[in-house]
Amino acid sequence: MPETGTEPRTTSGGPRSQATRLPDVNTQQKDKRGTHIERGAKRFELKDLNLFYGDFQAVQNISMTIEPNQVTALIGSSGCGKTTVLRSLNRMHELNPGARVEGHVLLDDTDIYSRDIDPVEVRRLVGMVFQAPNPFPTMSVYENAAAGLSLNRKGLTKSEKDEIVERSLRGAHLWDEVKDRLDKPGSGLSGGQQQRLCIARAIAVEPEVLLMDEPCSALDPVATLAIEDLIAELKGRYTIAIVTHNMQQAARASDVTAFLNLEESGKPGRLVEIGPTETIFTRPSEKATEDYVSGRFG
Amino acid sequence: MVDKIRVQYAEELAQLEERALGGLDLVIASLDRALETVQHRDVELAELVIADDDRIDGRYLEVHQAILTLLATQAPVATDLRLISALLHVMKCMERMGDQCVNIAKLVPITGHDAPQEADMLDRIAKMGKQVRSQISQSKKAFAARDVELARDLVRQDDVVDALNKECFQIAVEVGDDHDIREWAMTMMLVARALERTGDNAVDIGEQVAFVVTGLFREFEDASHPVVP
Repeated sequence: MPETGTEPRTTSGGPRSQATRLPDVNTQQKDKRGTHIERGAKRFELKDLNLFYGDFQAVQNISMTIEPNQVTALIGSSGCGKTTVLRSLNRMHELNPGARVEGHVLLDDTDIYSRDIDPVEVRRLVGMVFQAPNPFPTMSVYENAAAGLSLNRKGLTKSEKDEIVERSLRGAHLWDEVKDRLDKPGSGLSGGQQQRLCIARAIAVEPEVLLMDEPCSALDPVATLAIEDLIAELKGRYTIAIVTHNMQQAARASDVTAFLNLEESGKPGRLVEIGPTETIFTRPSEKATEDYVSGRFG
Repeated sequence: MVDKIRVQYAEELAQLEERALGGLDLVIASLDRALETVQHRDVELAELVIADDDRIDGRYLEVHQAILTLLATQAPVATDLRLISALLHVMKCMERMGDQCVNIAKLVPITGHDAPQEADMLDRIAKMGKQVRSQISQSKKAFAARDVELARDLVRQDDVVDALNKECFQIAVEVGDDHDIREWAMTMMLVARALERTGDNAVDIGEQVAFVVTGLFREFEDASHPVVP
């Protein structure tokens, strides 16, 4: 049965082999099967995105773009769906039982929810850094940084692997601090170092997009500023989307800010306003944005 | 949504604005006295104007410190940030207007008790003073009410001051050959100049009203920014 863009789709566990294509997947992609997202795809476009957990609709009709080489911050009160939106960008939302996605998430011109797109491929292009630093506890610093490689790039020689690990750790501003203890457990690092190790792990597989879900909420102010400096540097190479509860962090670290809000508890989150961060924090268009960024309402 | 929060912060911000705008009342009081010194050549009152400027400077410092504290502790954004930025400008204008009153007061001893006077010139100075006083009051009212139209009207009001200033200049040019009257007229020109600058400061406050309300800073139309037809 042909599938339309507005029809609800269950994405978890669906048989990929029998999938049909969505109408807006580009023509070039329609002729091929297998790998579909172009290498170097960087720009996200969300079109009428609705996300569900079973019967509960978490977000409603989100349409926005996430531009390359910029940091886009998602802000909003707890439960407004920021993290859900973020997790939908690398198809992690569907890992929740009963999760559903409606609408489109285009990475450049390819809908990442097309049924013949391999979620693993999406996740390689779109890396994620989580709220609490989560290095693999039994692995060394080196093994942590190389963890994604063994999954995505099998057959690398030791020297190739060494080179990628060093480049990733340097990219995450961690190399100088850990180069003499690469064989020590990653869990022995400080919180800020662990989070940078997770960023190194994410960039080792050479993604195009980095998603960060409150990456500094478990860190002290100095480690937080170090991560923010790193984000500023990484945006030269990656598309970055960050969820943060820290208003000042959004103001400091992002170029574009999107404000999501709930009309009331139990209702789905909606995109209230998106714009240049400077505008959102000096003269937002919507009163709800003004109240939220001013801290007048929680 | 929860109930309104940051109540104390909102109150602090409101009090800050009240103290800042209250500074304009101090300026009006100082201006009244300065004008009286000119009309009555009251040197003692002039000294009082000069001494009392410390109150205006004190208010400037007080509000400035409170603004720094709010910026450091409350990280205001959006309208609050624009308000605080505007209040900094208002305080600067207030402080400058206070200084202009001092400038006027300092000119009075120069004219001396017995110098000849020119009634037309004194009349223009009195009218200018009244007009500028009204503009300061209007700028305060417009700021408190966030009334952009009332603020914009200050430009029209200020045209009156500018016209009177030009008349003072003309009178001074034509005042005659007597040394003493020419010296007095030149001094009155400086008084007129101080009043004209004070009127401009009131217009500047009006521009800050527009900034707080709209988020866009644009100078109101004046000689350097004429109205585009």
